[in-house]
Amino acid sequence: MSEPTDSDLNLAPREVVPTAARGKKKPWFAYAVLVLALGAGGLFVAKFLTNAIDYYCNVDEIGHKSGCDVGRNIRIQGVVDKDSIEKAGAVTNFVVTFHGESIPVVLSSKPTGLFQECIPVVITGKVVDADDGTQYFEGNEVLVKHSENYDKENKDRVATANGEAAACSQKG
Amino acid sequence: MNLTSSSSSSPSPSPTSTRFTRALGVAALVGIGWLVLFGLFLSPNDRVQKTGVRILYIHVPSAWLAYLAFGVTGLSSAAYLWKRTRNLQWDRVAGASAEVGVLFMGITLVSGSLWGRISWGQFWTWDARLTTTAFLFVTYIGYLAVRDLGGTHQQRAKRSAVMALLAVLEVPLVHFSVKWWRPLHQNETVEKGKLNGLMLFSLFIGLISFTLLYVWLVIHRQRVLALNDQVDDRGLDLALAARREES
Amino acid sequence: MVAMLHAPYVIGSYVVTLGGIALYTVGMFARARKAAKRLPDEERPWS
Repeated sequence: MSEPTDSDLNLAPREVVPTAARGKKKPWFAYAVLVLALGAGGLFVAKFLTNAIDYYCNVDEIGHKSGCDVGRNIRIQGVVDKDSIEKAGAVTNFVVTFHGESIPVVLSSKPTGLFQECIPVVITGKVVDADDGTQYFEGNEVLVKHSENYDKENKDRVATANGEAAACSQKG
Repeated sequence: MNLTSSSSSSPSPSPTSTRFTRALGVAALVGIGWLVLFGLFLSPNDRVQKTGVRILYIHVPSAWLAYLAFGVTGLSSAAYLWKRTRNLQWDRVAGASAEVGVLFMGITLVSGSLWGRISWGQFWTWDARLTTTAFLFVTYIGYLAVRDLGGTHQQRAKRSAVMALLAVLEVPLVHFSVKWWRPLHQNETVEKGKLNGLMLFSLFIGLISFTLLYVWLVIHRQRVLALNDQVDDRGLDLALAARREES
Repeated sequence: MVAMLHAPYVIGSYVVTLGGIALYTVGMFARARKAAKRLPDEERPWS
C-alpha cells in the first residue's frame, strides 16, 4: 500500500477555515466602527462651530472689537472682583474686570465649579444698556477658567495673602 | 511538528513575555504604586482647586503619552511606506502604538471631564482643546477600524500608514489649540514653570510610570499582532496539515 | 468641605484610569494566549 499523496486529500471547505486575512472575518464590524467614528467626528466639528458662533470677548473689548457689541449674544472673559459677589434671590451679581476695564454681571443661573472672587471666568449672555445709561452683562451661564498656576494650600499666610492680592490685581 | 504548542503550560502569564518585559512591567507597576501614593496621599492640595489638583497627575501624563503614541504611529508608518525600510514589523508597531494611544486618550478625556466638573462646573464644553482632543480620539478609533477592513497584511499596512500620516497632523492642532483659540482649558503648566515641589514631583512620577507602561504595552501588543499575522499566514499550512492527518 | 465634595471625582478618575489599563492588559494577554495556542513556540522570535 502506497503512502497517500496530496492529490488524494479531500480539500473541500470545512466549517472553520483559517483565512489569510484576519480583517475579512468580520469586516462589517470595522465598517460600522468607521462609520460611527466619521459620524462622531462630524458631530464634534458641528458642535464646535455652533458654539463658536458666540463671539469670545475680553471685558476690555466690549464695544470696541467687532462682534463684541451691545445686545448680541457673546461670551466674555474677566476676573471676578474681590468683595463683588452678591446673591439676590435667583440671581447672582458680581463684577468682572479685564485689563482695567470692568462690567457688572447679573447671572440668572447658579454659579458652579470653583466660582469665587479673584478667579478668571467666562460668562455667556449679552451686554444690556441699563436705565441709568450704564451697561451691565446679562449672563445665563458662568464657567470658571482656572489658570495654570498651582500653589499648595497650606503655605504661610503672608505668602497666600500676597498670592491672592497678586491674582486679583492681575485682572486677567 | 507540534502545531498546538505547549505555550499554555508556560509559567509566563503571556506568550509575549520575556525577561525584559517582565522587568519593565514590574518597574511600571512600582511607578504606578508611587503615583497613587504621591498623587492621592502625599502631595498637597492646591490653594484654589483643593483636592481637584490630584487629577492633574494622571490627566497630563496620559495626554502626553497619547501624543507620543500617535507620534510613534506616524513615524512607524513613514518607515513602512519608505521602500528602504519597508517591513511589516513597522506596521505592527504603528498599530500597537495607536491602540495604546487610544487607551491613553480615552483616559485623558474621562479624567479631564471629571476635572472639568470640579473646576469649571461642567463635565464637558465644546471648547477648542476639548473638541480637538475628542476629534483626535475618534480619528484614531477610525484608524484602528481601517486596519481591520480586510485584505492582505501589506494592503492593511499601506492604507493604515497613509491614514496615520494624515492623522498625526492633528496632534499639533490639539496641542496649540490653547494658543490659537481662546479656550476654557488652561495653558501649559509645566512649560511655564507654574508647578513646583511635591506637585511637580507627583506629575513627574506620573509621566515616568505612564511612559514605562506605554513601552511595556506596545511591546506586548505588537507581539500579539505578530502572532495574529503568523496565525493568518500559517492558516493554509494548518488546514493542509489537518487534511493530511485525516487521510 | 469642598475637598470632600470633590473626592468622588478624584478617586473616580484614578479608578477609571487604573481599571481601564488593567482591563486592556487582561484582554491583550487573552488575545496573546489564544493566538499562541495555534502556533508552535518557534514562531516567537522574542522568546
